[in-house]
This record gives sequence, structure tokens and C-alpha cells, in this order.
Amino acid sequence: MEVSFSKEIEALRLGAGDTFHGEGILAITKGLLQSGVAYVGGYQGAPVSHLLDVMVQAKPYMDQLGVHVEACSNEASAAAMLGASIHYPLRGAVTWKSIVGTNVAADALSNLSSPGVRGGVLIVVGEDYGEGASVIQERTHAYALKSSMCLLDPRPDLGVMVDMVEHGFRLSEASSMPCMMELRIRTCHVRGSFECKDNQPPAISTRTLMAEPAGFDYMRLAHPPVTFRHEKLKGEERLPAARRYIAEHRLNEQIPGRHESLGIVVQGGLYNALIRSLQQLGLADAFGATDIPLLVLNVAYPLVPEEVADFCAHKLAVLVVEEGQPEYIEQEIATLLRRRDIRTALHGCDLLPPAGEYGVEVLATGLGLFVQRHLPGHARDSAEAWLDGNRERRAAVAARLGAPLPNRPPSFCIGCPERPVFAALKLAQQDSGPVHIAADIGCHAFGTFEPFSMGHSILGYGMSLASRAGVSPMMQRRALSIMGDGGFWHNGLLTGVQSALFNGDDAVLLIFKNGYTSATGTQDIISTPGDDVKERAADRQQSLVDKNQTIEATLKGLGAQWLRTVHTYDVAKMRKTLNEAFTSDFDGLKVIIAEGECQLERQRRIKPWIAGLLRRGERVVRVRYGVDEDVCNGDHACIRLSGCPTLTVKDNPDPLKVDPVAVVIDGCVGCGLCGANAHAATLCPSFYRAEVVQNAKWHERLLHALRGAVVRAMQPA
Amino acid sequence: MANGTRPITLLVCALGGEGGGVLSEWLVDIARHAGYAAQSTSIPGVAQRTGATTYYIEVFPLPLAGLAGRKPVFSLSPVPGALDAIVSSELLETVRQIGNGMSAPQRTLVISSTGRTLTTAERMQPGDGRADAARFVEVVKAFSREHHLFDMGAAAREAGTVVSAVMLGAIAGSGLFPFPRAAFEAVVRGSDTQAPEKLGAMAAASLRGFASAFDAVQRPREQAAMVARLLADDDETAHRAEGGLPLNPALPAEVAARFPPALHGLLSLGHARVLDYQDPAYAALYVERLQQVLEAERSIDPAGARGFAVTHEMARWLALWMAFDDIVRVAELKSRASRTRRVHAEVKAGETDIVKVWDHFKPGAPEFAALLPPALARRLLAWDRRRATPWALPLKVGSHSVAGMASLRLLASLRWLRRRGQRFGEEQALIARWLDAVIAGCRSDWRLGHEIALCGRLIKGYGSTNERGKANLLHVIDQLAIAPLPDGAPEARARAIAAAREAALADEAGNALDAELVRHGAPPRPVKEQPIRWMKRRPEAAPR
Repeated sequence: MEVSFSKEIEALRLGAGDTFHGEGILAITKGLLQSGVAYVGGYQGAPVSHLLDVMVQAKPYMDQLGVHVEACSNEASAAAMLGASIHYPLRGAVTWKSIVGTNVAADALSNLSSPGVRGGVLIVVGEDYGEGASVIQERTHAYALKSSMCLLDPRPDLGVMVDMVEHGFRLSEASSMPCMMELRIRTCHVRGSFECKDNQPPAISTRTLMAEPAGFDYMRLAHPPVTFRHEKLKGEERLPAARRYIAEHRLNEQIPGRHESLGIVVQGGLYNALIRSLQQLGLADAFGATDIPLLVLNVAYPLVPEEVADFCAHKLAVLVVEEGQPEYIEQEIATLLRRRDIRTALHGCDLLPPAGEYGVEVLATGLGLFVQRHLPGHARDSAEAWLDGNRERRAAVAARLGAPLPNRPPSFCIGCPERPVFAALKLAQQDSGPVHIAADIGCHAFGTFEPFSMGHSILGYGMSLASRAGVSPMMQRRALSIMGDGGFWHNGLLTGVQSALFNGDDAVLLIFKNGYTSATGTQDIISTPGDDVKERAADRQQSLVDKNQTIEATLKGLGAQWLRTVHTYDVAKMRKTLNEAFTSDFDGLKVIIAEGECQLERQRRIKPWIAGLLRRGERVVRVRYGVDEDVCNGDHACIRLSGCPTLTVKDNPDPLKVDPVAVVIDGCVGCGLCGANAHAATLCPSFYRAEVVQNAKWHERLLHALRGAVVRAMQPA
Repeated sequence: MANGTRPITLLVCALGGEGGGVLSEWLVDIARHAGYAAQSTSIPGVAQRTGATTYYIEVFPLPLAGLAGRKPVFSLSPVPGALDAIVSSELLETVRQIGNGMSAPQRTLVISSTGRTLTTAERMQPGDGRADAARFVEVVKAFSREHHLFDMGAAAREAGTVVSAVMLGAIAGSGLFPFPRAAFEAVVRGSDTQAPEKLGAMAAASLRGFASAFDAVQRPREQAAMVARLLADDDETAHRAEGGLPLNPALPAEVAARFPPALHGLLSLGHARVLDYQDPAYAALYVERLQQVLEAERSIDPAGARGFAVTHEMARWLALWMAFDDIVRVAELKSRASRTRRVHAEVKAGETDIVKVWDHFKPGAPEFAALLPPALARRLLAWDRRRATPWALPLKVGSHSVAGMASLRLLASLRWLRRRGQRFGEEQALIARWLDAVIAGCRSDWRLGHEIALCGRLIKGYGSTNERGKANLLHVIDQLAIAPLPDGAPEARARAIAAAREAALADEAGNALDAELVRHGAPPRPVKEQPIRWMKRRPEAAPR
């Protein structure tokens, strides 16, 4: 795993009287333990990866508490795991990145929500929406509505978030409804503190096992005819029960204000941004005391009609601050106001943009319109001046810059094993012509950025092979599907490989076998080289993914006949293999396994090892590449084939030449791509490979000294 | 009453993997230990793997003790125009945030590294795609209440630490937060690292980096100097002096006498280059060719009102083309003692370390043909063209070894063969065509000649790159300088050639160039035949 959570694991052990300091997502994790959770599962993905990562690393402590932790193969298996709470009084929690993860989990979620749960269920989803989001912009809210699950949206205060975890379980048990908790990116990574409680070891746990299974009860199966009854129960019993609990425990917060004729209904997660916007308009103070009354929805679904009605009644106008489209909450409020014939003016998406993240500036703008219309007396000059100032400044800077600034998208790490494959693919397409490239989710998606700019579609995690099924039959040339081992195990194996083999598709699949789900923080998967292998490895520097053959064995077992494994840094061989796959007579599924261990994981292993060798004064060879500045032709073709952060350009030291020359800067890990590209693409002969030997033995020194003397004798100045 | 008080707001810009997360954790801990309410947030999602990201910190300026149990409500995202400070480890990212409206000239302190981590888009251009750093600096100055600029990367390298420690020092030095220097240093000292046994050394290095930044921010004069240097760096002529050849190698008096003093600088460099490349006779040819250009320029601008710019440019580009790169030249450059010293410095080898250097060569048939007599060369090339894939010999020559150096020296000694080789004659013919175009252009319209001269920039390097450059140049000359055009006026041709030159440097494939050519009523470049391997898939219905 990329990060070590030793410190955080200690924080999980804190008890009553202690204060927790740290990130939001870890506070949630602590909250789970305080709530007596019995089992935890999920699938990694920003911004909630840490929840599972910490628990996996904290296994000894989890065993001590009797909590089972499962690193699930995908979100569907995580959601299905919640089935344990249908029959048994077990509190279960799972986590994943939404919206994508919720999409994958949807089937199990429907089948879980229909019979309902006995033990409390909490689904912690990273609402990856807005600035910094790495997935499609959609709301998780829709799933809560269609499957009748509660949706918690706590305001980003660690104390409140942790309370809402505990309430979430009780709410789930009180209503038999699974509860989802949506946490926005910045909420997951917010650093704050809260007063801890003791962790609760679950009554039924891995330490105190159940003796007997539950008796047969058809009502707990998601199967007709009882599903029809379930659907009625949702409306007749579960939602009312949930609303009762929410009202009784005041999960939603009402904050009074002197302008009682107005009100704002806000999703809990947006509370801080709203307060800051009110401050900008001079309508709130530093501590959240506001002039306009607020209804803070820490539970975004279900709403409590009476609560909302009472808040809106006798008000001139109410503004609903709800992020994302469609505006479900606003619509529901409109309906219930209309039904009760409450004449309060309702605003929301008419004043606020329907799409995108609600930052302070966006909110303040909409809020300004609301105030202008319903609080005409209030002075908005300073706020207007601030907003105009921003607009003018942006224009002024743009004018001064003349040209738009170059973007800086994420890219492959230094020495990444996936970069060389895209270099080879660029060259192979010069031989076999351009091909349709079905891309996928994972680090390799960075191949869609410069300098490669490759990929025609991304249909989801592990979907690349399936997504070309309609393309390749229609095209003269073969289509290429690119998939990571993460995506392969997540579902590419079944949705892609199995389908292609079953249908005898003429397809080309390239699997990046780097050994981890690297993009999410290098979590282990079933094809990760074992720790024992890493321990035994004589040379810790080499890639070790070849030591785990699970992917190869699986493909063979499934009946894949055309299977090639290529070391990714061998650009020439990869180019040859790609050309072969594109043009061979074999018209079934052709699989190329691009083998090269994630460089992040390699470096995590190498750095301490090298440090140890040096400390003990043992021989160490450090490899580094370089460019001869007087030989470099300043065309930068090498960079267009690499994009490595350590292969950059500098001013041309030759006073006659004007274009910058390529240069390899510190940080080069000597992966060898520069040399491989120089040969495979016949680049200019300016690249050199340097091996720096430290702590060499005496005979090596002697040989080198003699050799050096002869060499120097031959050299001109 | 603290109600009116607003939090101190800080936006930190960094690149993924630069330790911005650690930095924000440090700041929150410092505030906590000092008894202040603080909050940090980040969006690491986008930082993932070397991308740009930001961290946002808010600290309430009054001690918690004085707040009667009330907790300030902090914003989770930076508010444009409401920031007290922006601290950034990379100049472009600083300007990006200023462009987003983050910095308010009446409020915001901007502390930025002058260092650039070039984006891929900037690095991959065939020409010079780097954004104008001097302009960035102007933006920082214009849109900040106060600014501090220094090279944070260099500071970190000198201290042997990471940039996050340097940024912390800068923040501490700026006095943004009401915490003493000791409070900052304490957290660095106590900061957990995953290698406890190295903590001492790492913490010490971090503190060195912290201190240097702390001082840099407190010593504005030095920064001014650094900015001046940065601006100078960007100025064409300044950096030419450093490294490479001496600016003014001895220029034979009789040669100097034939050219106006304004040209002597580049002329001496060009003359020295051609001499070093081949022999005195070749250098003489260079001088003679340059003189033809000078005469042509004099004929239209006798007084040299334009500073003999055409001849000046030709002194540069003619020398570079005449000293075209071939295996002999490369062997010569790679086998010099100065080169060995440079490599040792680049790889940061210690005194006692052993350095082994392997050079990557892949000469193909054309490289060898270049040194053969024309007849022989033609047959070799014909054979090569008949092959499915062109022949080439991938070599890793160990220039640290006796055999490796010997072979390099042997190759370098083949200079005499170069003159008799097929490529030499070919290059001379092409140079002559370009030269004639410059002279003819110059006589008809000074600017036309000047633009054609500048096209020498298109000639670069080796193999395919070099072929492509020459093809582009000649096509531009033939179609835009000579062939009839819808608007054949010299100044129109000059404009067209300038546009075409820029386009040719824009992308490898030359799409931009073709577009420019067509835009000016000239034909695009002829499609170059290239072997493509066809696969056998046919439509289902088709008979097999």
C-alpha cells in the first residue's frame, strides 16, 4: 500500500476522554468502531480509500475487537456482503467511491433494500462530485430515492460526522432501511478533531460466533411474491419509522436568525460554504450565528415533511441550497408545500446554477440575488464589489498573459512501467496503422493525456474489452482494449474476457500487470506478488510481478489461446508483439500481458534496502540516464515518446543554437525507457546510460583505474 | 467581540508528491499546540501522480481560550479574492491560481518559487514550447499585496530536504500566522517519518531548508536579485554565454575585416564551429557563402540600417547546417574528455565512485551510406529501401571501456572520408538552394530574405528529424518564395514564410504547416510513402 497508517491506527485505539485529531474519513472510521460495527468491507477509491486501507493495516486490532474486515473484489461484492444484516443483528459498514461504485453495487443494493435489514447498515460513499472529481458527475441521491435508503449528508464537522455514524446505524435499525452517508472530497480530507468514546466490541463477532443460522423466513428474501409486500412496507412502515427517528433525535439542525420571514434549507455537507457566503454578504458571523434562519439537512433523504413545512410556513421565501441535478430536495419541498397549500416563495435552481460544485463564490452570487429580491434593505455593496473584483481580476490576468496557461494533468510516475507501453503503441501504429483504442479506468488512463493522447472511449472500470465488442466487427483493422490488472479483477475478466471468448471475438486485449490497484493507492489484489517473495528476492530492485501467475493461469483456464507476456520496458519487443497482435492470422482473443511492477511500490521497497546496503558499506550500483547537450538535436522527439517528469528541457548551452535541449534531471530512477526508446524509435544518439558504483571492492577499483588511464590517453580535450 | 474577526486564510499550491499533505498537517498541528482553532482541506484526487493540486488552511487569529467555548466555522474551499496568502512551489501553478482570481492585490501575500516544473505540453514541442516565466513574474507582482519570489527547489536541494519544509519556512518567515519560529521548528523536529532510524538526519535537513526559506522571505533584497536573474535567464543572449563554447573564439583578422563589427560575435562562433567540424578549406567556404549574403543585403540596405540582420542570422544557421550531424561528429563529441567530466557531474558521482557510461547508438544504412562514394551509397540505400523494415544496428558502446573509446576515436578519425561521402555533396547542394533563395529574396525585399534565412531553424539533428526538416524547408522555399502565389508580392511571401516556419515547429506531423501552406494558396507537402502492414480482416459478406 502506498501510505503507511501507523499513526492513524494508534488514533483508532483512542477511548473516552481522548481527543482525536485527523482527517474526516479517519474520524468516520473511528466512528464505526465506536458504534460496535461487526463487519466492514468495500472497494478502494478516492476519497474514501483510507477508510478501508487503515482497517486492513489495523488487522491485529480489528481481530482483537472481533471486527471482520474484507477488501472486496468490487463494490458489488461489498454491497452483497451487507446481506449479513438482513437476518442477523450485525452492524455492517461498507465504503466505495460514488457515483461509479454505487452503480456497480446497484443490483445488490436493490435486493438488500427490498427485504430490509435487521442489523444496522451504513454505506459510506465518497461523493466524488465537483472540483477535483475523477468520475462522471452524477448524484448518489437518486439511489437513495429509488431503493428507499436513508441518505445522510452530515455537515463537515468531525463531531457531527461521528455522531451521524452512530445515528446512521440506529436509524437503519429503527427503519429497517440501509443508510448511505455521502461525504464530499474536501469533507473526507478535512483536518479537525472530536472527543472520542470507547470502541464497542460487537456482541456477535469473529470472537463470539453465532451457533445456529436464522430460521427460514421468506419475508427476508428479495423474491416474489414477498417483494410486492416489501414495496408496500417501504411507504407504510419504514419511511415513517425513519422520519420519526430523524425528528425525535433532531438529526437535522434548525438555526434561528433575526430575518424570520426568510429561510434557507441546506444540505449538511454544504453548511460551511453557506456560512462563509453569508459572512461575505454580512449576514453571519465567524461562529455561524446567522441573520437568516437555516434548516441544515444532515439527513438528505427522507425529509420530514412536518419539519420542512413548519420551517417554511409563515415565511416570505425559502432558498434551497442543493448541489447537483436534478434538484430532488427542492422538488420534494415544492410538492409538500403545494399539498399543504403553503404560499412561501421557493427558490433554488432558479438562483443557483443547476450543475457543478457549490463553492463560496457561486453560493454568494445566488444568495445575493435571493437577498436582493427578498431583503431589499440589506446593503450588498461590499459583496458586490468583491464579486465584481474577482471577475475583473480574472479578465485582467488573462489579458496580461495573452495565451492560456498550459494544463498540468496527472501523468505516469517517474519510471512508471506503463509509460513504455504507450511509447511502443505509438510506434506500432506507425507500422500497422492507427487502431481504435478502448481505454479503461486506472493509471493507464493517463495515456489519454499528452504526449500520447490515446484512447477513444472509457466505459467504466474493467469495461474496455466489452466496450469494443460493437466496434471491432465493423472495422478493417483490429481494435485494442487496454485494461489494468485492477480492472481485470474488478470485472474485466467476466464482462470482457469471458464474453469475448464465448463469442469468439477477434479482439486484442492488453493487460497492465503492475501488481496493484495503483491509481487508488497501490492496494494489494489477488495477483500481487506475495510478501514472502519480496523478502526472498535477492535483488530487491527488480520487478517481481512475474512471480505471481494468477492472471495467466486464469486466462489459460478460461481458454485463451493467444497469450504473450512482455516486459514493459522492452519497447522494441512490445512494439513487435503489438504489431503481431494487430496483424496475426489468429482471429480469436489475443491477450498481451504487459508485465512491470508499479514503480511506487518498487521504490518503497528499494529505498530502505539501498540505504541499508550503503550503511553497511556494501557495493551499490545506481543507474541513471542522461542526454549529451551538444549531441541533442533539440527536436524533443524523445519527450513525445515518454513524458517522464525527469526528462525535460533546458536552455541550449550552445550559443549558436536557439531551441532548448533535452535534459534528465534528478529523480531519474534509471528505468531504462530513454535507452529503449532511443533504440526502438531510432532517436538521436544523445542518450547515455550511466552506472554509478558505490563501495566498489579493491579489484574493481584497480581494473577501473587501469582502464581509465588508457581511455584518458585516447581522449582529446 | 471576536464576531467580526475573520480567519487567516492560506492557499498552498503544489504538485502531487511534493508533501503538501504533510505541510498542511504540520500547520494544523502548530496551531493546535499554540491553542488556536485551525482547519485544513485538500483535493488529493487531482494531485494523483505529478498533477497540480492545492491545499487550503484556515486559522482563527484569536486563541481558543478567548472564544468562550464557541467554535469558528471554517470554509472547506479557498474563496477567490478572500485569501491572506498563497504559497506555491511552482511558478506556473502560482499564476494559475492568480488567474482563477484567488489573489487580491489589496489583501493577498504571494510567496512563490521561481522554479518551473515544465508541463508535458511545454516540453514536447519540436521548437521551444516553454511559457514565458518573465511574464509570470509580472503577473505575480501585479496581483499581490506583497510578494516573495525565490527558487524553493534549489533551497530544498541545497538543504537536502523536500520542498514542503522550505514552504513551511517561507510561511513562518512571512509572519502570516501568530506563531513564533520555535513553534514551526518544533513540529518539523517532531514530525513522524516512516524511517525512525533516519529521523535525526531528515529532521536536520528539513530544518536547514526551513531556515533558508525563512531567511529568504525575510531578506527581500536577495529575492529582487533572484528575480532579476530569472528575468535575465529568459533573455536570449544572457544564457548563451554560460557553458558550451566560449563566446568569442579567435576570428582570423582577414575574415573579420570583411564583415561589419556587429556580426563578429556570431561570425567567430560559426567560423570556429565549421573549422572544428571539418577543415580550414570548409571554414573558408563558410566565409565565402556568408559574404555572398552580406553583398546581397548591402545591395538593398547599404547603410546596414537593419543591423545586417539577414547576414547575422545566416552566420548562425549556415554554420549549423554546414556542421551537419553525422556519426563522425557524434563520435568526436562523445569521446572528448570534457564530456566525461560533464557526465560525472550530471550523475552526481562521488570522488570514490566508479562511473560506467554506455552510449545508445542505432546507425542505419543512411548513416553508413553518408560516408560512401555516391554510387556505392545509392546501391546500399536501394537495398535498404527494398527491406520490409529499414536496417539499423542497435549499439550500446561503453565509452568508459578501452574497446568502446577506441571505436569512438576510430569513427571520429574518419573526418577525411566525410568530404568524399555521398551525404556531404548532397548537403552542399541543398545548402546552395537555400542560400540562393535567401540571396534572391534579399535582393527583391529585405524582409523576404530575412524570413528565408530564419528558416534555417527548421534544419536539425539526425535521421528522420533531419530529413523532415530539410523537406519542410525546401518545400517552403519552392512554394512560398519562388512558385507563383495568389498574392505574389514579396512582403506577402515574407509573411507567408514566417507563418509557415512557426507552423512547421508546432507539430511533428506537419499538419499545421500544411494548413498554413494551403491558406496561402500553396500545395501541401507531398505525402511520403511509408510501409504499412495490412491485416487480413475482410467484411463478413465478402467471398473468401
